[in-house]
Amino acid sequence: MKRKPVMYLGATSLALLIAGGVGLIVSEHAVSAQAPAGGAAPARGAAQGGATTPARGATGGGGAPSYRVNPLWPQLLPNHWVLGAVSGVAVDKQDHVWIVHRGADSLESAEKAMILTPPTSFVCCVPAPSVMEFDSAGRVLASWGGPGLGFVWPQSTGGIAVDGDGNVWVAAFGLEPAPAGRGRGAAAADPDAVGPPAARGRGDAPAAAQAPARGRGAAPAAPAAADAHITKYSPAGQQILRIGTPGQPGTPDSQTGLNRPAGMAIDDAAHEVYVADSGNHRVAVFDSNTGAFKRSWGGSGDRPTAAGAGPYDPNGAPGRQFRDVTCVKISKDGQVYVCDRSSNRIQVFQKNGQFIREMVIAKNTKGAVTTIGQAPGVVLNASGSVWDIAFSNDANQRLLYVADGSNDVVRILRRDSLTEVGHIGDGGRQPGRFLAVAAVAVDSRGNLYTGEVHHAKRVQKFAPAAAAAAPATGNN
Amino acid sequence: MTSKRNIVIGATLAALLVVLGTGQSLLTKVAAQSASTVMAPKFEVDPNWPKPLPNQYQLGQTIGVAIDANDHVWIVHRANPDEVEAGADNGTAGCCHVADPIMEFDQAGNLLRHWGGKDGPGYQWPASNHGIWIDYKGNVWIGGNGNGSDGMVLKFTQDGKFLNMFGIKKQGLGPDSLAEDRFYLVAKIHVYPKTNEAFISDGYGNKRVAVIDADTGKMKRFWGAYGNKPDDKLDLGAYTPGAPLAKGFRGPVHCAEPTADGIVYVCDRTNDRLQWFTLEGKFLGEIQVQPESKGDGSTWDVDFSKDPAQKYLYVADGRNQRIHIYDRKTMTELTNFGSGGHYPGQWYSLHSIAVDSKGNLYTTETYQGRRVQKFTYKGLAPVTRRDQGVPWPTSTGQ
Repeated sequence: MKRKPVMYLGATSLALLIAGGVGLIVSEHAVSAQAPAGGAAPARGAAQGGATTPARGATGGGGAPSYRVNPLWPQLLPNHWVLGAVSGVAVDKQDHVWIVHRGADSLESAEKAMILTPPTSFVCCVPAPSVMEFDSAGRVLASWGGPGLGFVWPQSTGGIAVDGDGNVWVAAFGLEPAPAGRGRGAAAADPDAVGPPAARGRGDAPAAAQAPARGRGAAPAAPAAADAHITKYSPAGQQILRIGTPGQPGTPDSQTGLNRPAGMAIDDAAHEVYVADSGNHRVAVFDSNTGAFKRSWGGSGDRPTAAGAGPYDPNGAPGRQFRDVTCVKISKDGQVYVCDRSSNRIQVFQKNGQFIREMVIAKNTKGAVTTIGQAPGVVLNASGSVWDIAFSNDANQRLLYVADGSNDVVRILRRDSLTEVGHIGDGGRQPGRFLAVAAVAVDSRGNLYTGEVHHAKRVQKFAPAAAAAAPATGNN
Repeated sequence: MTSKRNIVIGATLAALLVVLGTGQSLLTKVAAQSASTVMAPKFEVDPNWPKPLPNQYQLGQTIGVAIDANDHVWIVHRANPDEVEAGADNGTAGCCHVADPIMEFDQAGNLLRHWGGKDGPGYQWPASNHGIWIDYKGNVWIGGNGNGSDGMVLKFTQDGKFLNMFGIKKQGLGPDSLAEDRFYLVAKIHVYPKTNEAFISDGYGNKRVAVIDADTGKMKRFWGAYGNKPDDKLDLGAYTPGAPLAKGFRGPVHCAEPTADGIVYVCDRTNDRLQWFTLEGKFLGEIQVQPESKGDGSTWDVDFSKDPAQKYLYVADGRNQRIHIYDRKTMTELTNFGSGGHYPGQWYSLHSIAVDSKGNLYTTETYQGRRVQKFTYKGLAPVTRRDQGVPWPTSTGQ
């Protein structure tokens, strides 16, 4: 038996050589954009699920482009790595795709069996580093970050952004405050934040007996300080700047503090970073080099309040204040788009905070407030329709993509009118389907990348159907 | 061992030839020489199977798969999506709906019939589903797996018309591995045509293989580990890798699969163990699979290659997220494939497997995996490495 490994070694080299010479040819689903389904969320099609119509080079309803999912993107991860909940996706100037995921905290014990104490498997699996960079072929380039690896890591990550210098920004979105009664908390937070702040054993509550082997693993460890910051890292993961202080949430009028920021956007020309300061119901702008406060505003351009807009009522007026602010994105023509997620609303501003317009998307969406597992008080909150926003790759950024994690689609909107012209996807775990799609980004060639939280834990790539119609050799 | 050394040389030489771009005929000759020693079935995941589910259906924990005479693929799942996944049912979002627990797919991956989940005249639906089988008469069997009440298996037509309940369904049930009239927390059913007997993996509560008449449900025989009389009082303690093998099934007894040549392979899951028996329950042998595995164990399900001799045994290992391929004659592992994850060809808690008449393999995942996947049979191929990894396609096939 001792010689067996030798045999495999020799044979492996053969396999590798052959594999190296043969490009992977992938087959791909067509995922044509579906016609819009009206504003009311529950009205969406009950008919055939719709990701199969091949519409190569064609456009879907209302001028929306069609897409094909690449089911074999990214390439297989090394080192028995698996992704946790993918909370942020961004594309840098080189068209590299950056993700941040929630690692061990978001994995159930069966997904991270190798880091349990004792391990229950020696071959599956280990959480991948929290920040990962892929090239457009899906190869892992950089990987770093995560709790217990020399980083002061967030309780729960939000969005990721890459600035013009290639530096990587990560938001510490945090854990939702324990809900009062069974209602929503004062501010809705992250749908995958399923652990009370006091006990860090997120993901798989019954595994409390299993202590983490390293970093934050399966079980309660020392509580991380409450998330109240964003951090700017070098492309290799060296911390450059932090705005806000972990454990010291700021108030809506704070010039130094944040409260569960969900994401950020960088205005390279102005050296400014715009922060979706979710817990403070505001957009806050800082100098992206020094961290000095510049300005902030609340919903509709008003002064933000701690109370925000209160519980969402689909039959009432949405209110002027933000509920939660889960994204901020800046278009090339200098407009600031804000996700007011549990208000089912996009608001658009000038860079100075002057309100321009708003649009409510799928207004009947309430999202789920539920407990999962057996741990008391463990909250899983998926609320609202507007989770993240990306712009199309054309010069005018004619289209807007909205990740709708409650309705499991990426909506395609005209940017000028904010009217919906189609959508991609539907609910499900198969390639091209979504389960709690939380993040969306577009590269210079119009490829669309999505990140999913909850139990999906994927980054997916969708190519424009026209481009995908070319022979799919290589790994695109 | 000499022959194995030759493989090393052969494979290395073959590799060199590839690099050098030497003539194809010589390469083929060398490959054929090495191939003659270790061959195993090769598979490739089909990332586009099944087709996306209609009606915004979401699967729950998918805890059974079976193939019928038409090579249709039947699954049973626990129709238990959480609020996020069943938002349309709950009125909180536009997606999705809980799908019926029994679902039939054709070879192209279209969803055909789907039904179940409700009580009917003469039966109660299980409090928790587990295991599905399509018998040689075309009937659909499912196991009852709900704590405290499910001591039965149910038989339906393929259209969901109730035929039989064997065992007992009532509140207050507990383990009784000597019971003649019922089961407790069944994992799987396999109806053996030659004897018209149903082999019941019994299960999560009881710790035995039970064999009943497939028409009448009459208990014919049952046995525990090593073919002994099962003993529910046996205290096995915690599973410890390397310790002497347990005298009893630690369970769940998660599969009991008879072959055409009359050998019954039994999954003793948290012992990381397979035992095999005659149809009558005489102990023949045992192995462990990845015996370092803790938690919920390594031996979740087995099925066989489609050659008449059923030369190869496939073991679904939902702890390590692999399918191990064994030579059934020697019960040595030839190779394995798969890994953990949510992408095609990966699994998160691989639970059940089934093989169709063409040798294609279907898998289902429980916990939060919740998919049915197809792995296309690509014929026998030389084993080039023990851990093949995820069998992604090398050509479109479409």
